[in-house]
Amino acid sequence: MSSSQQPNLRLERFKAVAGNQNSILLSVLIALAIIFTLAEPLFFSVATAGNILTDWGSIVLLAAGQTLVIISGGIDLSVGGTLAISGVTSAWMMSVVLGFDTTTSGSDAHPPLMIGAVTAVITGILVGLVNGFLITKLRIVPFVATLSTMGATLGFAIIISNGMPIGGPNDFSIISPINRDWMPLSWAVIGVIVIVTIVGLFLHKSRFGLHTYAIGSNPFAARAAGINVERHLTKIYALAGGLAGLAGFYVYLRLGAGSPSSGTMRELDAIAAVVIGGAALMGGVGRMLGTVIGALILFTVQSGLIMAGVAPDWKKVVVAVLIAAAVAAQTLKRENRQR
Amino acid sequence: MQMGEVIYEVKGVSKRYGSVVALEGANLKVHAGEVVGLVGDNGAGKSTLVKVLSGAHMPDEGEIFLDGQKVSWANPRQALESGIETLYQDSGLAPHLTVSKNVFLGREITKPGILGKLGFLDSKAMEEKAHADLERVGIAVPASNRPVNQLSGGQKQAVAIGRAVAWARKVIILDEPTNHLGARQAGEVLQVIKEAKRKGLGVIFISHTLPHVLEVTDRIVVLRLGRVVRDAPTSQFTGDTLVGTITGTIQAIPEDEV
Repeated sequence: MSSSQQPNLRLERFKAVAGNQNSILLSVLIALAIIFTLAEPLFFSVATAGNILTDWGSIVLLAAGQTLVIISGGIDLSVGGTLAISGVTSAWMMSVVLGFDTTTSGSDAHPPLMIGAVTAVITGILVGLVNGFLITKLRIVPFVATLSTMGATLGFAIIISNGMPIGGPNDFSIISPINRDWMPLSWAVIGVIVIVTIVGLFLHKSRFGLHTYAIGSNPFAARAAGINVERHLTKIYALAGGLAGLAGFYVYLRLGAGSPSSGTMRELDAIAAVVIGGAALMGGVGRMLGTVIGALILFTVQSGLIMAGVAPDWKKVVVAVLIAAAVAAQTLKRENRQR
Repeated sequence: MQMGEVIYEVKGVSKRYGSVVALEGANLKVHAGEVVGLVGDNGAGKSTLVKVLSGAHMPDEGEIFLDGQKVSWANPRQALESGIETLYQDSGLAPHLTVSKNVFLGREITKPGILGKLGFLDSKAMEEKAHADLERVGIAVPASNRPVNQLSGGQKQAVAIGRAVAWARKVIILDEPTNHLGARQAGEVLQVIKEAKRKGLGVIFISHTLPHVLEVTDRIVVLRLGRVVRDAPTSQFTGDTLVGTITGTIQAIPEDEV
């Protein structure tokens, strides 16, 4: 290979692994787990892992879509609102349209739940298409375009539900850990992992992903290379919307109801996960695995602080510090490289 | 001079932006194996003409001919697919992508079988082919798996121009390719232009650096205030007369031979 001209190959390779964003993030995650276990030994348990992973499931779906959007140089503030409206339309479809109420449970609930899942995803994709339209056709910057759809989705979620959660059929075993003694994962979380893995593979290995990076890196170059930038961005926002819709259905499974308030401020958790995971808000940079670990760090900190007896209000402050630290680290790294 | 047929031609092209007339009835043609220099002061309409030639902008008036066939471009992709490559000033590469991904951007090699149908990329094949393609057009290739933002300015430009020459089938449009380059690097770029000419491509070379234009072109087209004021073989210009024609101190010679 061409790198054989490098005299200090072994050192270079060590630096590459040690300086790798994902290795750093994993180290942070492990360090946090050790610190919280020392502070409260009960932290190290299947139950805690189950709680963290269940929280993680909904946010990582939002964050996976957000990763694509941020790599393309945009931002999607509407994912929290999309989560809420999708949960509500999903519940509305199952209970009001199909007539299944909360008494339908266990495997009897599976057929309506499938229709509910499809409804949630379609709702999310529609919101994403509206975002795509506002951004590519009306040329509204992503921040403002998705800020308006954020307001609109949160508003519609309340209008459709009259401000109250809509209960419906459910099978709580889907969202509960498979085994409380040794298996913290639930089938829902496993499903989320499969979906995020597939999205990650498309991001890093396919033409779709390459064009996403190219647009975020230099939209002019992407257009000059013949990429239909507008159509690609619309696809990205539609995909982010679809994933947020799925997150809405995931939250429905947790609550057994579609709640109009379930999405409030969740977009900030998603953006935090992406930024902690190493993506740059200017576009062109980011890794799906970074986002996945970033979201895990977020919920490990939240869980750990609560279990260590820190007042829940401090959680927001700690998350804020984490975001600032992640962005500062990125900036330092970039300046070092340019020096 | 082993020049072929007229390969690419625009006739009577006009373009207005609001009340600003950027181009007024401009004509330009390039033969296969010919290097045409396009020069003019800032605001003379060079960039606009480049955008019309590359398919980025549709002219308000005028016609475009490729191989004698009338064509019109709705977007740059159509021009690209017809064999016209454009190297834009300074901004042709995506800095976060590797050299090979940049070379293949928009024309990726996908894996065989079902994965390829899903758009999964054959990165290895692209790296090897990018390396070979750049070498073939005479570019000293930096490692093709390195991100472009880790290359020097000269290397970046080499990659951009190498990509354009490697892909071009008919015409290559180079907008200020020697800008910001040192003397040696600029010399390499001029070498690549000569290589493109040998390949039988029609080359349109836009530059402010008049010595480069005089060295490498066969014919020079001078734009002033949106009009073509001179279109003549390079041998009819000296440095002084070229400057005079650009600035207007030498009066326009009507293009009666066009």
